[in-house]
Amino acid sequence: MSNPVTIIMIEDDEGHARLIERNIRRSGVNNEIIPFTNGTDAVKYLFGSDGSGLAHKGNALLILLDLNLPDMTGIDILRRVKENAYLKCAPVVVLTTTDDSQEIKRCYELGANVYITKPVNYESFANAIRQLGLFFSVIQVPAAAT
Amino acid sequence: MTPDATRRRAIGQILLLAAGFLVLVAISTASVLLVNQTRSDNAGIVRAVEVEGMISTLLLQIRRAESSARAYFMTSDPQLLTDHEAAVATILPNLEELARSTSDNPAQAQHIKQLRASVEVRLQEFARFVDFIKGNDKASALAMARDVATGPTVKSITELSAAMRAEEERLLSLRIAAADRTQQLASAVTIAGSGLVIALAGISIFLVRRSANARDGAEAMLRENNLNLETTVDERTADLREANDEIQRFAYIVSHDLRSPLVNIMGFTSELEELRGDIFRRIASLARTQSAAPAAPDNATDSAEPVLEGADKQLSQDFTEALGFIKSSIAKMDRLITAILNLTREGRREFQPVQIDTRELIETIVSTVAHQAAEAEANIHIEPLPDIVSDRLAMEQIFSNLIDNALKYLRPGIPGELHVRGRTKLGFAIFEVSDNGRGIDPKDHQRIFDLFRRAGTQDKPGQGIGLAHVRALVRRLGGTMSVSSELNHGSTFTITLPIRWAATNRNRES
Repeated sequence: MSNPVTIIMIEDDEGHARLIERNIRRSGVNNEIIPFTNGTDAVKYLFGSDGSGLAHKGNALLILLDLNLPDMTGIDILRRVKENAYLKCAPVVVLTTTDDSQEIKRCYELGANVYITKPVNYESFANAIRQLGLFFSVIQVPAAAT
Repeated sequence: MTPDATRRRAIGQILLLAAGFLVLVAISTASVLLVNQTRSDNAGIVRAVEVEGMISTLLLQIRRAESSARAYFMTSDPQLLTDHEAAVATILPNLEELARSTSDNPAQAQHIKQLRASVEVRLQEFARFVDFIKGNDKASALAMARDVATGPTVKSITELSAAMRAEEERLLSLRIAAADRTQQLASAVTIAGSGLVIALAGISIFLVRRSANARDGAEAMLRENNLNLETTVDERTADLREANDEIQRFAYIVSHDLRSPLVNIMGFTSELEELRGDIFRRIASLARTQSAAPAAPDNATDSAEPVLEGADKQLSQDFTEALGFIKSSIAKMDRLITAILNLTREGRREFQPVQIDTRELIETIVSTVAHQAAEAEANIHIEPLPDIVSDRLAMEQIFSNLIDNALKYLRPGIPGELHVRGRTKLGFAIFEVSDNGRGIDPKDHQRIFDLFRRAGTQDKPGQGIGLAHVRALVRRLGGTMSVSSELNHGSTFTITLPIRWAATNRNRES
């Protein structure tokens, strides 16, 4: 990624978070990754204390989102991100264990850019994340709307 | 009401009826007897009156004979003699008749005997008197008439006839009294009998009304119970449905959530495997520097296995073995979780009843397993099958599982013979899938339908899901399934499905 894009990783399972980070790094992506293990902290970071998201004005963000969070569902975060004037352009990659077709459809309807089901098999998992990393290294991310 | 009480009540009513019948019979018998008695009483009365009349007639004829004889004595008119003779002629027959009529009464018979004697004497006197007149012996005739008028014969005749009349009077009054008694008795019997019949009828009506009330009560209770039962069944069904849904949700969530840690275990096991490579390469290089033997060039890539010796090699092998077990276990767990997820997903799918050409459906399945069948040298015979209305996908899954199983568990070296048969019975279609394979021990017949359970030699891959899944599908389609099998004698799976299945999806309302 050319400009300094920050990757926001919202993933409640720290093991998963670690594995994802490692495999992204292995694919040669060196951007800053900010991990969150619960929805509340992530929301606070994304939208700021006033909930407007003004703090990220001009920043380029990419959001990696798990749907099964302990305190809220990732779908709520997705909806709020896509409704927010500053954040709606940030690409959201839903990375979760659910492969329910209803859920997938819903996420795309809400504006998710990519939906990936975590494979249980580690080779596939690592492969998927590395390819995602390769994808990150080529996509263009706009700065949050001004 | 208990059956015992019902039986007692029925017996009571029969007894009551029998009692009423007996009373009626008794009344009728008594009436007949009493009527006969009355008739005989009346006959007795009539006879007594007749006898009295006869006595009067006899006396009258005697008097007539006497008076006509006297008149003849005074006038000598032959006409009067004729009268006298006619009267005399009737006296004896009258007496005989009287004797016949009173022959049953010894007292009267005695009287008759005496009377007959007196009458005969009197008749002789009449004869002598008439002879005197005919002989013109008027003096003798006059004397005789005087003697006779005050004589014992006339007196005895009068007395005897009075006695007989008294006797008959006595009999008459006795018989009238008896007739009165009989009539009173008859009316008493009739009144008592009628009273009894009315009482019995009253009791009967009471009992019938009571049992009718009891029956009405029982009917009302039955109706109420039926209603209650229906609501209870509805409630239970709703409860069961809820419980079932909950289990489905639970299974889904659990299997889903189990996946996350599994990803970690799998992931870090793989990381560990890479670490293992690094560590043992390091050990190998250290060992080499120690022995100062530059055996392998250092440019060996990461993937190349480091060369190890003795204890190090053993350590490396142990490490690999442990990791291998962990990975294969994780893979197995993953398959199980996937199976549960698929099952719960299948359980949530809504069924659509459609018209199914069963033969075509089976032929399609058979064509997809043709390769396996050829490998196992198996022939699949499809016999005529009834078409049904059901869910197509479920039917496909049911039959492909059964045919798969049949092909999978054939006896090695023996060509397989599979039969798919069908027939209909009472609105149900009965399908049979039979093979000549290795069979199933009867003690395992229940077990094979349980999730994750398998039977027999475990030489084929499988999770123990197929039959559990098939049975769940059959049940959801409103059918039943069973197996009959013996070891080494093949198996027959029987599936009974409604011919026209109306979609009663259990999770439709929830």
